[in-house]
Amino acid sequence: MNLVPGEPLLHAKSVSIQFGGLRALTDFNLEIHKGDLKGLIGPNGAGKTTAFNVLTGVYRPTSGDVFVSGNRINGRKPHQINRLGVARTFQNIRLFKELTAIDNVKVACLSESYSVVRRETLDRLERGTSALWFTNALHALNNYVDWWRALLLTPGFLREEAEVTKKAEGLLETMGLLHRRDEEARNLPYGEQRRLEIARALATNPKVLLLDEPAAGMNTREKADLMVLIRELREKFSLGILVIEHDMKLVMGICEHITVLDHGETIAAGGPAEVRTNPKVIEAYLGESFAAAHAAAAGSGA
Amino acid sequence: MESVAAPRFSGVPGWLRGPLPILLSLPILALAQWATAQAPFLVYIASIVGVNVILAVSLNIVNGMTGQFSIGHAGFMAVGAYIAGKFSLETKDVYLPFMQSVAASDQLMFVFALLLGGAVAAVFGFLVGLPSLRLKGDYLAIVTLGFGEIIRVIVQNTEMFGRALGLSGIPQRSSIFMVMFWVFLTILAARRIASSAHGRSLLAIREDEIAAEAMGVNTTAYKVRAFVISAFFAGVAGGLFAHFVGIINPGSFTFVKSMEIVVMIVAGGLGSTTGSIVAAVFLTLLPEALRSIFTQLGGGDQTLAQRVDQIRMPIYGMLLVALMLLRPQGLFGTKEIWDVAPKWLSRRRKGMR
Ligand SMILES: Nc1ncnc2c1ncn2[C@@H]1O[C@H](COP(=O)(O)OP(=O)(O)OP(=O)(O)O)[C@@H](O)[C@H]1O
Ligand SMILES: [Mg+2]
Repeated sequence: MNLVPGEPLLHAKSVSIQFGGLRALTDFNLEIHKGDLKGLIGPNGAGKTTAFNVLTGVYRPTSGDVFVSGNRINGRKPHQINRLGVARTFQNIRLFKELTAIDNVKVACLSESYSVVRRETLDRLERGTSALWFTNALHALNNYVDWWRALLLTPGFLREEAEVTKKAEGLLETMGLLHRRDEEARNLPYGEQRRLEIARALATNPKVLLLDEPAAGMNTREKADLMVLIRELREKFSLGILVIEHDMKLVMGICEHITVLDHGETIAAGGPAEVRTNPKVIEAYLGESFAAAHAAAAGSGA
Repeated sequence: MESVAAPRFSGVPGWLRGPLPILLSLPILALAQWATAQAPFLVYIASIVGVNVILAVSLNIVNGMTGQFSIGHAGFMAVGAYIAGKFSLETKDVYLPFMQSVAASDQLMFVFALLLGGAVAAVFGFLVGLPSLRLKGDYLAIVTLGFGEIIRVIVQNTEMFGRALGLSGIPQRSSIFMVMFWVFLTILAARRIASSAHGRSLLAIREDEIAAEAMGVNTTAYKVRAFVISAFFAGVAGGLFAHFVGIINPGSFTFVKSMEIVVMIVAGGLGSTTGSIVAAVFLTLLPEALRSIFTQLGGGDQTLAQRVDQIRMPIYGMLLVALMLLRPQGLFGTKEIWDVAPKWLSRRRKGMR
């Protein structure tokens, strides 16, 4: 890996994005290192989800750069950025509704399914090169061979299927969902759907995990449990984590660093104590406190 | 969705699991071949049913599993039919010296023809799949529709393919064995892909493209590959068709044919392989059944039956409307018969109590 020590896993350098006349994100800066647990907060429509979408390649920044492990990723596709080690969940839950819980996770377990050139090798190549046509061709070659392996049920294929199943079951267990293994995602209660999204994101072997309001719609108890779980995940999978969360108390409780957005602008960044006493933050949040109380019901963005 | 490594194969050694169903099918197919030797009409009907099953199951890979809406499947069938048919016409008298008999040599040449037709159709599948990189929903449907029509128009104006008259005198090398063998292969391939990592990616694209992409699925590439495999089997179906009817012309591969296949998979439940099979069998036999019923009603006179045959499409349409009102998700929804049937049965049992 071409990761210089001290180089952030995820790095946004003065990123801005505009939708027509709307400046959804202005001069946004962020660094996520291994072991970080950072928070991104702000009133409704502040640009938090938009920031996630830029970081994961859904949108291309109008200006500024995003780096993943030192690779500039502006203009790369979301799946390529995911392969570089950035996984996310969605504010408005985007599970594969008609697939079972385990299949939701297995979809994301792509890393093991490669035969000709190992996926890890390809991922490493992709990190080191800009000649993506070359790695794309190798991906295609792998895929066409994988077809045949699936059609012929080769022993290697069956072994990998078993491995993937085991990995997926392990992740379901970590997220406390193993009892839902064969249930369709759409039939799970809300809180479990959110956790299934995290399990699915983890299946892609990320280095950085972006969670978009993972506690939205949960009751106080569930929220508290989730926050403990998020901390555990950071240790267990040695992740850097960035959480969007509306509940100020929660964010202050678990995050070591918080970035506050308002109208796309970063109005504050720093430790919880620092942010809490920042007059700009108080103003933005007091003005929006009523809206924030109803934020759970809101669901905009990708 | 059941996983491939299901315990029903547990007693079988690993290397045998792949080919076992195929090996098991061979004696059954041979038996079917022997049993129907004296019933050419039955063979003909069964072949038509078989070809339609292949078409429906293969289209379902794109429309049902991947969630892309292609309505030009007859185009791929046409490519396969014309390429395979032309190949056999040109090599009619070629005898492969290493084969024991002329018949055996012909059968091998027939297999070549089918694979060639399938392969060329797959290339077209790749080319048509490419626009699906950018297009969604209705727009993709229009492109595939246009493709189907373009193929037909090209063939209609190509000397080599006999223009509007088509190709005739294609050696009739098809057999119930060969048709059903390919039916079987298509179903097996569809099922095995569905329960592999590849198939899961296709299903994920159908369910939520943005989420699939965010989970590392190269959605554009997978969509193209779905088109490729689907087109391959449609091409083979075309090749089989050409070799049991012996005459093909552009009229066999119109938009109406494409729509017939779409109707089948929608009726069976988009995404359900067994649904596609059941609907393809039923909807192929229905007009035949109507024809024979009305021939009898007409006292052996064909005119009444022919009249009814002419309104086949309206009948199809009405059936489809009725189905969509009663069961909008199609017969089995996105599930397979073994997922759905136990529920139906248990519900009925409960109802009786
Ligand atoms: N694709 C888009 N096209 C146009 N405007 C957009 C687009 N995506 C987001 N926006 C706008 O950008 C602004 C920021 O939206 P964003 O979803 O990032 O807010 P948020 O901070 O996540 O809010 P919430 O707390 O409600 O989730 C909003 O005004 C939104 O309407
Ligand atoms: Mg948001």
